[in-house]
Amino acid sequence: MLGKLMKYEWMATWKLLLAANLLTVVMTLLAGWMVHIMDYSSGRGMVEFVAVMVILTYVGSMFAVYVGTSIYLIYRFYTSTYGDQGYLLHTLPVDTHHIIIAKMLVSALWMLINSALIYFSVIFLFASSEDIFVSMMEGMVNVFTFLGAEKISAFTIVMTIVAYIFSLFAKVLKVGACISLGQLSANHKLMLSFAWYVGIYLVERIFQGIYFGLQLAFNVKASHMDYLFYYDSQWETTLIGGIISCVVFYVLTWYMMNQKLNLD
Amino acid sequence: MAPVVQCMGLTKTYGRKIALNQVTLNLERGRIIGLLGPNGSGKTTLIKIMNGLLKPTAGEILISGQRPGVDTKRRISYLPERTYLQPGMKVIELVRYFQDFYPDFCVERAYDMLARLQIPPQERMKNLSKGTKEKVQLIMVMSRDAELYILDEPIAGVDPAARDFILHTIVSNYNRCGSILLSTHLIADVEDILDEVVFIKYGSIVLQAGAEQIRQNEHKSVDRFFREVFAC
Repeated sequence: MLGKLMKYEWMATWKLLLAANLLTVVMTLLAGWMVHIMDYSSGRGMVEFVAVMVILTYVGSMFAVYVGTSIYLIYRFYTSTYGDQGYLLHTLPVDTHHIIIAKMLVSALWMLINSALIYFSVIFLFASSEDIFVSMMEGMVNVFTFLGAEKISAFTIVMTIVAYIFSLFAKVLKVGACISLGQLSANHKLMLSFAWYVGIYLVERIFQGIYFGLQLAFNVKASHMDYLFYYDSQWETTLIGGIISCVVFYVLTWYMMNQKLNLD
Repeated sequence: MAPVVQCMGLTKTYGRKIALNQVTLNLERGRIIGLLGPNGSGKTTLIKIMNGLLKPTAGEILISGQRPGVDTKRRISYLPERTYLQPGMKVIELVRYFQDFYPDFCVERAYDMLARLQIPPQERMKNLSKGTKEKVQLIMVMSRDAELYILDEPIAGVDPAARDFILHTIVSNYNRCGSILLSTHLIADVEDILDEVVFIKYGSIVLQAGAEQIRQNEHKSVDRFFREVFAC
Protein backbone atom coordinates (compact mmCIF):
# COMPACT_ATOMS: atom_id res chain seq x y z
CA MET A 1 0.00 0.00 0.00
CA LEU A 2 2.97 2.34 0.59
CA GLY A 3 3.77 2.31 -3.13
CA LYS A 4 0.17 3.15 -4.03
CA LEU A 5 0.02 5.98 -1.51
CA MET A 6 3.26 7.40 -2.90
CA LYS A 7 1.98 7.09 -6.45
CA TYR A 8 -1.17 9.10 -5.68
CA GLU A 9 0.75 11.63 -3.58
CA TRP A 10 3.08 12.17 -6.52
CA MET A 11 0.15 12.42 -8.96
CA ALA A 12 -1.51 15.04 -6.76
CA THR A 13 1.57 17.25 -6.65
CA TRP A 14 3.61 16.81 -9.83
CA LYS A 15 1.79 19.16 -12.19
CA LEU A 16 2.11 22.36 -10.18
CA LEU A 17 5.60 21.62 -8.87
CA LEU A 18 6.89 20.57 -12.27
CA ALA A 19 5.61 23.87 -13.67
CA ALA A 20 7.39 25.75 -10.86
CA ASN A 21 10.65 23.89 -11.54
CA LEU A 22 10.33 24.50 -15.29
CA LEU A 23 10.04 28.18 -14.47
CA THR A 24 13.35 27.87 -12.61
CA VAL A 25 14.97 26.36 -15.69
CA VAL A 26 13.56 28.99 -18.05
CA MET A 27 14.56 31.86 -15.77
CA THR A 28 18.05 30.38 -15.36
CA LEU A 29 18.55 30.17 -19.12
CA LEU A 30 17.26 33.71 -19.56
CA ALA A 31 19.38 35.13 -16.74
CA GLY A 32 22.44 33.20 -17.98
CA TRP A 33 21.94 34.70 -21.43
CA MET A 34 21.70 38.18 -19.90
CA VAL A 35 24.92 37.65 -17.91
CA HIS A 36 26.61 36.56 -21.14
CA ILE A 37 25.29 39.62 -22.98
CA MET A 38 26.52 41.91 -20.18
CA ASP A 39 30.03 40.47 -20.69
CA TYR A 40 30.06 41.91 -24.21
CA SER A 41 27.68 44.87 -23.85
CA SER A 42 30.53 47.37 -23.32
CA GLY A 43 28.42 49.93 -21.50
CA ARG A 44 25.29 49.98 -23.68
CA GLY A 45 22.89 51.44 -21.12
CA MET A 46 19.59 50.00 -22.31
CA VAL A 47 20.94 46.48 -22.77
CA GLU A 48 22.49 46.50 -19.31
CA PHE A 49 19.29 47.87 -17.80
CA VAL A 50 17.21 45.05 -19.36
CA ALA A 51 19.81 42.48 -18.31
CA VAL A 52 19.82 43.69 -14.70
CA MET A 53 16.01 43.66 -14.62
CA VAL A 54 15.96 40.09 -15.94
CA ILE A 55 18.56 39.00 -13.37
CA LEU A 56 16.55 40.63 -10.58
CA THR A 57 13.43 38.85 -11.82
CA TYR A 58 15.45 35.63 -11.82
CA VAL A 59 16.48 36.14 -8.19
CA GLY A 60 12.86 36.90 -7.26
CA SER A 61 11.55 33.88 -9.11
CA MET A 62 14.09 31.55 -7.45
CA PHE A 63 12.97 32.81 -4.06
CA ALA A 64 9.29 32.54 -5.03
CA VAL A 65 9.69 28.98 -6.36
CA TYR A 66 11.54 27.84 -3.23
CA VAL A 67 9.09 29.44 -0.79
CA GLY A 68 6.10 28.54 -2.99
CA THR A 69 7.11 24.87 -3.12
CA SER A 70 7.38 24.73 0.67
CA ILE A 71 4.04 26.48 1.17
CA TYR A 72 2.33 24.27 -1.40
CA LEU A 73 3.65 21.09 0.25
CA ILE A 74 2.46 22.31 3.67
CA TYR A 75 -0.95 23.20 2.21
CA ARG A 76 -1.15 19.81 0.51
CA PHE A 77 -0.31 18.00 3.76
CA TYR A 78 -2.92 19.98 5.68
CA THR A 79 -5.81 19.62 3.21
CA SER A 80 -5.20 15.99 2.34
CA THR A 81 -4.69 14.88 5.94
CA TYR A 82 -6.87 17.09 8.11
CA GLY A 83 -9.14 18.82 5.58
CA ASP A 84 -12.10 17.28 3.72
CA GLN A 85 -9.81 14.92 1.78
CA GLY A 86 -8.69 13.51 5.14
CA TYR A 87 -12.06 11.72 5.26
CA LEU A 88 -10.91 9.60 2.36
CA LEU A 89 -7.28 9.24 3.42
CA HIS A 90 -8.09 8.10 6.95
CA THR A 91 -10.75 5.62 5.84
CA LEU A 92 -8.43 3.86 3.39
CA PRO A 93 -7.39 0.41 4.64
CA VAL A 94 -3.78 1.49 5.09
CA ASP A 95 -1.47 1.72 8.06
CA THR A 96 -0.83 5.18 9.52
CA HIS A 97 2.92 4.54 9.17
CA HIS A 98 2.47 4.20 5.41
CA ILE A 99 0.55 7.48 5.21
CA ILE A 100 3.29 9.38 7.04
CA ILE A 101 6.17 7.74 5.14
CA ALA A 102 4.51 8.30 1.73
CA LYS A 103 3.94 11.98 2.43
CA MET A 104 7.41 12.44 3.89
CA LEU A 105 9.21 10.78 0.97
CA VAL A 106 7.31 12.63 -1.76
CA SER A 107 7.65 16.02 -0.04
CA ALA A 108 11.37 15.46 0.66
CA LEU A 109 11.91 14.41 -2.96
CA TRP A 110 10.31 17.61 -4.24
CA MET A 111 12.39 19.73 -1.87
CA LEU A 112 15.50 17.88 -2.98
CA ILE A 113 14.69 18.46 -6.67
CA ASN A 114 13.91 22.08 -5.94
CA SER A 115 17.13 22.70 -3.97
CA ALA A 116 19.29 20.88 -6.52
CA LEU A 117 17.79 22.90 -9.37
CA ILE A 118 18.42 26.19 -7.59
CA TYR A 119 21.98 25.10 -6.74
CA PHE A 120 22.78 24.16 -10.34
CA SER A 121 21.00 27.26 -11.56
CA VAL A 122 23.33 29.52 -9.56
CA ILE A 123 26.41 27.63 -10.83
CA PHE A 124 25.10 27.92 -14.40
CA LEU A 125 24.56 31.64 -13.92
CA PHE A 126 28.14 32.18 -12.73
CA ALA A 127 29.45 29.94 -15.48
CA SER A 128 27.68 32.15 -18.05
CA SER A 129 30.27 34.86 -17.49
CA GLU A 130 33.82 33.76 -18.14
CA ASP A 131 35.28 36.44 -15.83
CA ILE A 132 33.01 35.70 -12.90
CA PHE A 133 33.38 31.94 -13.34
CA VAL A 134 37.17 32.05 -13.33
CA SER A 135 37.27 34.33 -10.28
CA MET A 136 34.74 32.16 -8.47
CA MET A 137 36.67 28.95 -9.19
CA GLU A 138 39.93 30.52 -8.04
CA GLY A 139 38.27 31.80 -4.89
CA MET A 140 36.77 28.39 -4.12
CA VAL A 141 40.10 26.61 -4.67
CA ASN A 142 41.78 29.08 -2.30
CA VAL A 143 39.11 28.60 0.36
CA PHE A 144 39.23 24.79 0.11
CA THR A 145 43.05 24.76 0.18
CA PHE A 146 43.01 27.00 3.27
CA LEU A 147 40.51 24.70 4.98
CA GLY A 148 42.49 21.58 4.05
CA ALA A 149 39.65 20.15 1.95
CA GLU A 150 41.96 17.64 0.23
CA LYS A 151 42.15 15.76 3.52
CA ILE A 152 38.36 15.18 3.54
CA SER A 153 37.69 11.49 2.92
CA ALA A 154 35.08 10.06 0.56
CA PHE A 155 33.41 8.60 3.66
CA THR A 156 32.94 12.12 5.09
CA ILE A 157 31.42 13.32 1.81
CA VAL A 158 28.99 10.36 1.67
CA MET A 159 28.05 10.82 5.32
CA THR A 160 27.51 14.54 4.75
CA ILE A 161 25.02 13.69 1.99
CA VAL A 162 23.29 11.12 4.24
CA ALA A 163 23.14 13.70 7.05
CA TYR A 164 21.61 16.24 4.63
CA ILE A 165 18.92 13.75 3.59
CA PHE A 166 18.02 13.05 7.23
CA SER A 167 17.85 16.76 7.99
CA LEU A 168 15.53 17.14 4.98
CA PHE A 169 13.25 14.37 6.34
CA ALA A 170 13.36 16.06 9.75
CA LYS A 171 12.23 19.38 8.20
CA VAL A 172 9.27 17.71 6.48
CA LEU A 173 8.32 15.69 9.58
CA LYS A 174 8.57 18.77 11.78
CA VAL A 175 5.94 20.56 9.70
CA GLY A 176 3.76 17.43 9.73
CA ALA A 177 4.10 17.12 13.50
CA CYS A 178 3.23 20.80 14.07
CA ILE A 179 0.14 20.59 11.85
CA SER A 180 -0.88 17.38 13.63
CA LEU A 181 -0.37 18.93 17.06
CA GLY A 182 -2.47 21.90 15.94
CA GLN A 183 -5.43 19.51 15.70
CA LEU A 184 -5.57 19.50 19.50
CA SER A 185 -7.35 22.83 19.29
CA ALA A 186 -11.06 22.75 18.54
CA ASN A 187 -11.30 26.17 16.89
CA HIS A 188 -7.79 27.49 16.16
CA LYS A 189 -5.99 24.56 14.59
CA LEU A 190 -3.80 26.57 12.19
CA MET A 191 -2.85 29.11 14.85
CA LEU A 192 -1.87 26.35 17.27
CA SER A 193 0.14 24.60 14.52
CA PHE A 194 2.08 27.81 13.94
CA ALA A 195 2.62 28.28 17.68
CA TRP A 196 3.99 24.72 17.91
CA TYR A 197 6.34 25.43 15.00
CA VAL A 198 7.70 28.60 16.63
CA GLY A 199 8.06 26.82 19.98
CA ILE A 200 9.92 23.84 18.49
CA TYR A 201 12.12 26.18 16.43
CA LEU A 202 13.15 28.08 19.56
CA VAL A 203 13.91 24.89 21.51
CA GLU A 204 16.02 23.62 18.58
CA ARG A 205 17.97 26.88 18.40
CA ILE A 206 18.65 26.81 22.16
CA PHE A 207 19.99 23.23 21.99
CA GLN A 208 22.06 24.07 18.90
CA GLY A 209 23.49 27.17 20.59
CA ILE A 210 24.52 25.19 23.66
CA TYR A 211 26.04 22.40 21.54
CA PHE A 212 28.05 24.68 19.24
CA GLY A 213 29.18 26.78 22.20
CA LEU A 214 30.60 23.68 23.90
CA GLN A 215 32.14 22.46 20.64
CA LEU A 216 33.84 25.78 20.02
CA ALA A 217 35.14 25.90 23.59
CA PHE A 218 36.75 22.46 23.27
CA ASN A 219 38.15 23.25 19.81
CA VAL A 220 39.73 26.51 21.00
CA LYS A 221 41.21 24.68 23.99
CA ALA A 222 43.13 22.53 21.51
CA SER A 223 45.05 25.78 20.75
CA HIS A 224 44.36 25.69 16.98
CA MET A 225 41.33 25.34 14.69
CA ASP A 226 41.27 21.75 13.47
CA TYR A 227 39.19 21.99 10.30
CA LEU A 228 39.20 18.25 9.68
CA PHE A 229 37.70 17.82 13.13
CA TYR A 230 35.20 20.49 12.14
CA TYR A 231 34.09 18.63 8.97
CA ASP A 232 33.74 15.32 10.79
CA SER A 233 31.87 16.82 13.71
CA GLN A 234 29.63 18.72 11.24
CA TRP A 235 28.20 15.65 9.55
CA GLU A 236 28.07 13.73 12.81
CA THR A 237 26.14 16.54 14.49
CA THR A 238 23.79 16.99 11.52
CA LEU A 239 23.21 13.24 11.25
CA ILE A 240 22.58 12.66 14.95
CA GLY A 241 20.40 15.79 15.18
CA GLY A 242 18.53 14.74 12.02
CA ILE A 243 17.89 11.22 13.25
CA ILE A 244 16.72 12.39 16.70
CA SER A 245 14.43 15.01 15.09
CA CYS A 246 13.06 12.45 12.61
CA VAL A 247 12.21 10.00 15.40
CA VAL A 248 10.62 12.64 17.65
CA PHE A 249 8.53 14.29 14.90
CA TYR A 250 7.56 10.96 13.34
CA VAL A 251 6.33 9.56 16.67
CA LEU A 252 4.41 12.78 17.39
CA THR A 253 2.72 12.73 13.98
CA TRP A 254 1.90 9.03 14.27
CA TYR A 255 0.50 9.46 17.78
CA MET A 256 -1.70 12.37 16.73
CA MET A 257 -3.01 10.57 13.63
CA ASN A 258 -3.53 7.27 15.39
CA GLN A 259 -4.72 8.27 18.84
CA LYS A 260 -5.96 11.84 18.63
CA LEU A 261 -7.47 12.12 15.18
CA ASN A 262 -10.24 14.68 15.36
CA LEU A 263 -11.55 15.62 11.91
CA ASP A 264 -14.07 18.46 11.89
CA MET B 1 -21.30 -14.39 13.91
CA ALA B 2 -20.70 -11.11 15.77
CA PRO B 3 -23.05 -8.20 15.06
CA VAL B 4 -21.70 -5.86 12.41
CA VAL B 5 -21.57 -3.01 14.96
CA GLN B 6 -21.39 -3.27 18.75
CA CYS B 7 -21.21 -0.13 20.88
CA MET B 8 -20.72 -0.49 24.62
CA GLY B 9 -21.08 2.60 26.79
CA LEU B 10 -19.71 4.78 23.99
CA THR B 11 -19.14 8.36 25.11
CA LYS B 12 -17.64 11.32 23.29
CA THR B 13 -17.18 14.71 24.83
CA TYR B 14 -15.74 17.97 23.47
CA GLY B 15 -14.68 19.86 26.55
CA ARG B 16 -17.87 20.12 28.61
CA LYS B 17 -20.14 19.34 25.67
CA ILE B 18 -21.36 15.74 25.52
CA ALA B 19 -21.77 14.61 21.91
CA LEU B 20 -22.43 10.94 22.71
CA ASN B 21 -23.61 9.74 26.09
CA GLN B 22 -23.18 6.07 27.07
CA VAL B 23 -24.37 4.69 23.73
CA THR B 24 -24.96 0.95 23.82
CA LEU B 25 -26.10 -0.46 20.52
CA ASN B 26 -25.94 -3.65 18.41
CA LEU B 27 -26.55 -3.59 14.66
CA GLU B 28 -27.22 -6.93 12.95
CA ARG B 29 -26.16 -8.04 9.48
CA GLY B 30 -28.20 -7.95 6.29
CA ARG B 31 -30.39 -5.02 7.26
CA ILE B 32 -30.93 -1.44 6.15
CA ILE B 33 -30.87 0.62 9.31
CA GLY B 34 -31.84 4.27 9.61
CA LEU B 35 -29.88 6.33 12.12
CA LEU B 36 -32.44 9.05 12.67
CA GLY B 37 -32.20 12.20 14.69
CA PRO B 38 -32.37 15.98 14.36
CA ASN B 39 -29.31 18.07 13.53
CA GLY B 40 -26.74 18.00 16.33
CA SER B 41 -28.10 14.81 17.89
CA GLY B 42 -24.77 12.92 17.57
CA LYS B 43 -25.35 10.94 14.33
CA THR B 44 -22.18 12.13 12.59
CA THR B 45 -20.08 11.75 15.75
CA LEU B 46 -21.19 8.12 16.09
CA ILE B 47 -20.46 7.50 12.41
CA LYS B 48 -17.01 9.09 12.62
CA ILE B 49 -16.14 6.87 15.58
CA MET B 50 -17.26 3.79 13.61
CA ASN B 51 -14.90 4.86 10.80
CA GLY B 52 -11.96 5.57 13.10
CA LEU B 53 -12.07 9.30 12.31
CA LEU B 54 -12.69 10.14 15.96
CA LYS B 55 -11.60 8.45 19.16
CA PRO B 56 -14.25 7.89 21.83
CA THR B 57 -13.69 9.48 25.22
CA ALA B 58 -14.97 6.33 26.92
CA GLY B 59 -16.55 3.01 26.03
CA GLU B 60 -15.81 0.64 23.21
CA ILE B 61 -16.91 0.05 19.65
CA LEU B 62 -16.41 -3.13 17.62
CA ILE B 63 -16.96 -3.58 13.90
CA SER B 64 -17.48 -7.27 13.12
CA GLY B 65 -15.83 -7.99 16.46
CA GLN B 66 -12.79 -5.74 15.87
CA ARG B 67 -11.79 -2.31 17.07
CA PRO B 68 -11.64 0.36 14.32
CA GLY B 69 -8.40 -0.08 12.39
CA VAL B 70 -7.02 -1.13 9.03
CA ASP B 71 -9.08 -4.32 8.96
CA THR B 72 -12.40 -2.63 9.78
CA LYS B 73 -11.71 0.05 7.16
CA ARG B 74 -11.46 -2.76 4.63
CA ARG B 75 -14.97 -3.88 5.62
CA ILE B 76 -16.69 -0.48 5.73
CA SER B 77 -17.73 1.61 2.74
CA TYR B 78 -18.24 5.15 3.99
CA LEU B 79 -19.97 8.11 2.42
CA PRO B 80 -19.34 11.28 4.45
CA GLU B 81 -21.62 14.30 4.40
CA ARG B 82 -19.04 16.35 2.49
CA THR B 83 -17.08 16.17 -0.75
CA TYR B 84 -13.93 14.28 0.12
CA LEU B 85 -12.52 13.61 -3.33
CA GLN B 86 -9.62 15.55 -4.83
CA PRO B 87 -11.04 18.29 -7.08
CA GLY B 88 -8.25 17.92 -9.63
CA MET B 89 -8.85 14.21 -10.21
CA LYS B 90 -10.71 12.88 -13.23
CA VAL B 91 -13.60 10.48 -12.62
CA ILE B 92 -11.64 7.70 -14.34
CA GLU B 93 -8.71 8.34 -11.97
CA LEU B 94 -11.06 8.06 -9.00
CA VAL B 95 -12.27 4.68 -10.25
CA ARG B 96 -8.62 3.53 -10.44
CA TYR B 97 -7.94 4.99 -6.99
CA PHE B 98 -10.78 3.03 -5.39
CA GLN B 99 -9.81 -0.06 -7.37
CA ASP B 100 -6.22 0.24 -6.10
CA PHE B 101 -7.11 0.56 -2.43
CA TYR B 102 -10.24 -1.55 -2.06
CA PRO B 103 -10.03 -5.17 -3.24
CA ASP B 104 -13.86 -5.43 -3.10
CA PHE B 105 -14.36 -2.54 -5.55
CA CYS B 106 -16.33 -3.58 -8.66
CA VAL B 107 -15.11 -1.53 -11.63
CA GLU B 108 -17.86 -2.73 -14.00
CA ARG B 109 -20.56 -1.67 -11.56
CA ALA B 110 -18.99 1.77 -11.20
CA TYR B 111 -18.76 2.36 -14.97
CA ASP B 112 -22.28 1.02 -15.44
CA MET B 113 -23.68 3.54 -12.94
CA LEU B 114 -21.59 6.37 -14.41
CA ALA B 115 -22.87 5.54 -17.89
CA ARG B 116 -26.47 5.47 -16.73
CA LEU B 117 -26.02 8.91 -15.26
CA GLN B 118 -24.11 10.12 -18.32
CA ILE B 119 -21.14 11.22 -16.23
CA PRO B 120 -18.09 11.37 -18.54
CA PRO B 121 -15.17 9.40 -17.01
CA GLN B 122 -12.69 11.94 -18.41
CA GLU B 123 -14.31 14.85 -16.58
CA ARG B 124 -12.51 16.39 -13.61
CA MET B 125 -14.34 16.55 -10.28
CA LYS B 126 -13.94 20.33 -10.05
CA ASN B 127 -15.90 20.74 -13.29
CA LEU B 128 -18.91 18.79 -12.02
CA SER B 129 -21.93 20.33 -10.30
CA LYS B 130 -22.37 19.78 -6.55
CA GLY B 131 -25.14 17.24 -7.14
CA THR B 132 -23.09 15.30 -9.70
CA LYS B 133 -20.09 15.23 -7.35
CA GLU B 134 -22.31 13.69 -4.69
CA LYS B 135 -23.53 11.12 -7.17
CA VAL B 136 -19.96 10.23 -8.15
CA GLN B 137 -19.09 9.75 -4.47
CA LEU B 138 -22.13 7.56 -3.97
CA ILE B 139 -21.22 5.49 -7.03
CA MET B 140 -17.71 4.91 -5.67
CA VAL B 141 -19.06 3.88 -2.27
CA MET B 142 -21.81 1.62 -3.62
CA SER B 143 -19.48 -0.08 -6.12
CA ARG B 144 -17.85 -1.92 -3.25
CA ASP B 145 -18.98 -5.26 -1.83
CA ALA B 146 -18.62 -4.11 1.75
CA GLU B 147 -19.85 -5.68 4.99
CA LEU B 148 -21.14 -2.34 6.19
CA TYR B 149 -22.14 0.73 4.21
CA ILE B 150 -22.24 3.87 6.29
CA LEU B 151 -23.98 6.69 4.49
CA ASP B 152 -24.04 10.02 6.30
CA GLU B 153 -26.88 12.25 5.09
CA PRO B 154 -26.77 10.94 1.51
CA ILE B 155 -29.92 12.77 0.45
CA ALA B 156 -29.49 16.07 2.26
CA GLY B 157 -29.15 19.04 -0.06
CA VAL B 158 -30.24 17.31 -3.28
CA ASP B 159 -33.44 17.74 -5.26
CA PRO B 160 -36.27 15.15 -5.00
CA ALA B 161 -35.43 13.57 -8.37
CA ALA B 162 -31.82 13.08 -7.28
CA ARG B 163 -33.05 11.62 -3.98
CA ASP B 164 -34.93 8.95 -5.88
CA PHE B 165 -31.81 8.10 -7.87
CA ILE B 166 -29.68 7.94 -4.74
CA LEU B 167 -32.09 5.69 -2.86
CA HIS B 168 -32.53 3.47 -5.93
CA THR B 169 -28.73 3.24 -6.29
CA ILE B 170 -28.34 2.29 -2.64
CA VAL B 171 -31.03 -0.38 -2.66
CA SER B 172 -30.05 -1.96 -5.96
CA ASN B 173 -26.27 -2.06 -5.50
CA TYR B 174 -25.42 -3.01 -1.96
CA ASN B 175 -23.92 -6.33 -0.96
CA ARG B 176 -26.95 -8.36 0.28
CA CYS B 177 -24.84 -10.01 2.99
CA GLY B 178 -23.86 -6.61 4.34
CA SER B 179 -25.77 -3.94 6.22
CA ILE B 180 -26.47 -0.31 5.48
CA LEU B 181 -26.45 2.34 8.17
CA LEU B 182 -28.12 5.40 6.73
CA SER B 183 -28.10 8.61 8.69
CA THR B 184 -30.69 11.26 7.89
CA HIS B 185 -33.25 13.63 9.27
CA LEU B 186 -35.39 13.36 6.11
CA ILE B 187 -37.36 10.34 7.31
CA ALA B 188 -40.25 10.43 4.83
CA ASP B 189 -37.91 9.98 1.88
CA VAL B 190 -36.13 6.91 3.25
CA GLU B 191 -38.85 5.27 5.31
CA ASP B 192 -39.84 2.76 2.65
CA ILE B 193 -36.40 1.21 2.36
CA LEU B 194 -35.63 0.87 6.07
CA ASP B 195 -35.78 -2.45 7.93
CA GLU B 196 -34.86 -0.97 11.27
CA VAL B 197 -34.56 2.47 12.86
CA VAL B 198 -32.40 3.91 15.61
CA PHE B 199 -33.54 7.21 17.11
CA ILE B 200 -30.79 9.35 18.59
CA LYS B 201 -31.41 12.45 20.69
CA TYR B 202 -28.89 14.61 22.55
CA GLY B 203 -26.24 11.93 22.07
CA SER B 204 -28.33 9.11 23.54
CA ILE B 205 -30.18 6.27 21.84
CA VAL B 206 -33.88 6.68 22.61
CA LEU B 207 -35.26 3.87 20.46
CA GLN B 208 -34.12 0.92 18.38
CA ALA B 209 -36.89 -0.99 16.64
CA GLY B 210 -38.02 -2.53 13.35
CA ALA B 211 -39.67 -0.07 10.96
CA GLU B 212 -42.63 -2.41 10.47
CA GLN B 213 -42.91 -2.93 14.22
CA ILE B 214 -43.28 0.85 14.74
CA ARG B 215 -45.95 1.09 12.05
CA GLN B 216 -47.92 -1.83 13.62
CA ASN B 217 -47.55 -0.85 17.28
CA GLU B 218 -47.94 2.89 16.90
CA HIS B 219 -50.36 2.81 13.94
CA LYS B 220 -48.46 5.57 12.22
CA SER B 221 -45.59 6.02 9.85
CA VAL B 222 -42.03 6.17 11.12
CA ASP B 223 -41.91 9.79 9.93
CA ARG B 224 -45.02 10.68 11.97
CA PHE B 225 -43.66 8.84 15.01
CA PHE B 226 -40.28 10.58 14.64
CA ARG B 227 -41.98 13.99 14.64
CA GLU B 228 -43.76 13.10 17.89
CA VAL B 229 -40.62 11.81 19.60
CA PHE B 230 -38.56 14.80 18.55
CA ALA B 231 -41.26 17.48 18.90
CA CYS B 232 -39.80 20.74 20.20
